[in-house]
Amino acid sequence: MSSTVAHDFQYESASYQAQTAVAGMWLFLATEVLFFGGMILTWIYSRHWNQLGFDAGVRQTDLSIGTLNTFVLVTSSFVYALGLLFIREGNIRQLIRCCVVTLVLGLIFLALKFGVEWPEDFAHHLFPSAPNFKISGPSEGGARLFFIFYFIGTALHGVHMVVGIGLLLWVIRRARRGEFSPSYHTPVTVVGLYWSFVDIVWLTLYPLIYLIGRGR
Amino acid sequence: MSMGMTDMVKISDGAAEGSYLTDGWTLRSWLLSTDHKRIALLYLGSITFFFFIGGAAAALVRLNLIVPEGLLGSAEAYNRLFTMHGVIMVWFFLVPAVPVTLGNFLIPLMLGARDLAFPRLNLFTWYLFITGGAITLWALFVGGVDTGWTFYTPLSTTYSQGHVVLAAVGIFISGFASIATGLNFIVSIHRLRAPGLTWYRMPVFLWSIYSLSVLLVLATPVLAITLLLLALERLFHIGVFDPAIGGDPLLFQHLFWFYSHPAVYIMILPGFGVVSEIIPTFSRKSIFGYKFVVWASVSIAVISFFVWGHHMFVAGTSVYSAVLFSILSYLVAVPSAIKVFNWLGTMHKGFVRFDAPMLYALGFIGLFTIGGLTGLWVAALAADVHLTQTYFVVAHFHYIMVGGMVSAFFGGLHFWWPKITGRMYPEMWARVAALIMFIGFNITFFPQFILGLLGMPRRYFSYSPDFQVLNVLSSAGASVLASAYLLPLAYLTWSLFHGERAPANPWGATGLEWQTTSPPPTVNFVEIPVVTEGPYAYPPPETVHQQNV
Amino acid sequence: MKPGMMRLLVTWGLLILLGGTELAASYLPLARCWRPLVMIPGVLMVLVVSIGFMEVKKGPVIVRAFAVAAMFWLFVLLALGSADPLTRTNYYVPDIHVK
Repeated sequence: MSSTVAHDFQYESASYQAQTAVAGMWLFLATEVLFFGGMILTWIYSRHWNQLGFDAGVRQTDLSIGTLNTFVLVTSSFVYALGLLFIREGNIRQLIRCCVVTLVLGLIFLALKFGVEWPEDFAHHLFPSAPNFKISGPSEGGARLFFIFYFIGTALHGVHMVVGIGLLLWVIRRARRGEFSPSYHTPVTVVGLYWSFVDIVWLTLYPLIYLIGRGR
Repeated sequence: MSMGMTDMVKISDGAAEGSYLTDGWTLRSWLLSTDHKRIALLYLGSITFFFFIGGAAAALVRLNLIVPEGLLGSAEAYNRLFTMHGVIMVWFFLVPAVPVTLGNFLIPLMLGARDLAFPRLNLFTWYLFITGGAITLWALFVGGVDTGWTFYTPLSTTYSQGHVVLAAVGIFISGFASIATGLNFIVSIHRLRAPGLTWYRMPVFLWSIYSLSVLLVLATPVLAITLLLLALERLFHIGVFDPAIGGDPLLFQHLFWFYSHPAVYIMILPGFGVVSEIIPTFSRKSIFGYKFVVWASVSIAVISFFVWGHHMFVAGTSVYSAVLFSILSYLVAVPSAIKVFNWLGTMHKGFVRFDAPMLYALGFIGLFTIGGLTGLWVAALAADVHLTQTYFVVAHFHYIMVGGMVSAFFGGLHFWWPKITGRMYPEMWARVAALIMFIGFNITFFPQFILGLLGMPRRYFSYSPDFQVLNVLSSAGASVLASAYLLPLAYLTWSLFHGERAPANPWGATGLEWQTTSPPPTVNFVEIPVVTEGPYAYPPPETVHQQNV
Repeated sequence: MKPGMMRLLVTWGLLILLGGTELAASYLPLARCWRPLVMIPGVLMVLVVSIGFMEVKKGPVIVRAFAVAAMFWLFVLLALGSADPLTRTNYYVPDIHVK
């Protein structure tokens, strides 16, 4: 292929292109809002028709792991944002350290969620299509519905976390090759936006699956 | 030809030397190209392919309906055919058609830019699109799906014997192509406008693309989650739509139509844009009420999100929400009507020429108006109780989608054909095809309005013998329509090799895309143009002495 | 301390605070239909993350336009979508036991 287009040949400057990439990522995140929005509507419908069963289901979730995970994710966003501050003043080594810590926190989240919590849920017969589902009686249907939402919601969030971890690895790799500087670190910014967004999705899921309905 | 619109000079002559077409002859240079113009052609080939497959399914559907007991003999086969027709035509032809072919090709040119904001993402979308398409075709050919393109539960989740999950996966993947394309367009229009090209100097086509991109970007993700939930329920029996455990089957319909109603506007908005370019050019007059037209596009995009419940009037939703959706549906008709008046106002006292693109555009106005007006019938709750799920609805949306959108697509294809290929198509054949299309279309679909009013249900493979005459008429019309589609395939292909070489601006049109060669060089413009005037800067008709234009 | 560091620490602190509030609120004796209000601190947390970590206020104007559009359209989906179940007349159906 010809004059292959240095990939910013349609832009007037590198900084204009960087801002455009940021705008593009925000627009992509807007699409994700609508994607998870469909799940939220599902929660609304499911809970509306089955309030008793839903609340019965919520009480079965592991609040300590859920809350710990929330803390882990919020801290990971903090650490990554710190890394972004560092690269803005040119400190690649600190950027890499921050990305690695973020990565570790992300892995801790995944380990807790899928290595501890899910197996625990299966052991307690909480998988919604299981014949020996833990809750029976009038709340059974609602509780099954709750756990359908729980498993699908956390699975989707988990998939996004895994992608985020992949992106972190990519940023770390490029940082170690010295590709970032105060004047160019667009991938770092853009991955940070994505990571914080996945955090936001969790902050939305957390009350829906751990908190609402738990009270007396 | 006068080119009063820009200050640009130094345009080389309209020879095909050094154009994007000659810039690399290997398969690799086409399949790995990030040039928006080449990607547009890759897409053009793909959607043409899907159009003919969807058309073949339609032909078999119409064939079945020539006898009351159904010629094909099997309800299951019939169900799979109309599903195939709907799925392919909606997701693999109508939704992509203009945006990915004409849009991809023209947007940077109209913006005065050298490419879109994210060229590699653009190429990636084509691969997503054909992967999704291949998977869907595979699903349809290993036995197909019988649920209709609407996949309603519980048929799709529990009782269907078809390949629902496979089809859903194919559509899901192609949805990402839609989202990424829309994202690319929105960001490009915001960020890559040439110096002097303010929002109100952009051609209406760009406003239409922008509007439909908002729909692509915000509605398609909801389709994604809907298909995902559908597949999960079918595969793992974990069903949020299952009433046995307290789920709500209507939730599926709400989620599905939240996307699918904006989807129909994704399909028609580019048609509005194309017609808004053709009419001023062939009336040699500025578009009437530019601001009304562009803000009408934007309002259609916004309001289209508020009306989806009108597909569910008899589904069991609350009557209060049905009333709300009905009122909002009437609201969305207003901007569409405004546009029709604007096009007519443009032609009034202009110097109208009836070249092929104009014939298609005029056909569009007539057919779209009929389709749109009949939409008002079905938006009325009481009338819809009788008309829903009948052929009236089928005729209504085909008037808009086929009479409207497909006509506009062909109009746009002819209008910009010289720019894209550097060749002129044979004018006489094109006019003949346009006329045959208009006639064939009406013979096919007008009887369906009557059938619907008489009570013939849709999606049934057999019908009462009273309806046979109209059904036979409709099927006959379909064969006329088919020939009208085959004709352009023939002469446009012919023109690629033997057509007259096109100058930079064969129509004397305004617009930045006409200020560069036909076909354009890879970098689009030798020098980036500077825009100093509004769009459609034709001299007002009163000031022009009658001359051969 | 680095210039942006304060902003990040405040953001993190606010998030922990709001999280704790939300957790506590979930134990309030609210009637079943009011319990979703417990999400309010959660919504504030989302806002704090967008401003503090994602810096939505910096950058080109369209960034804010996209963020607002996302919220607006989410609201349309949820509000118009909920209109149906919230206004449906529910006819009594006896409980069905699943197998």
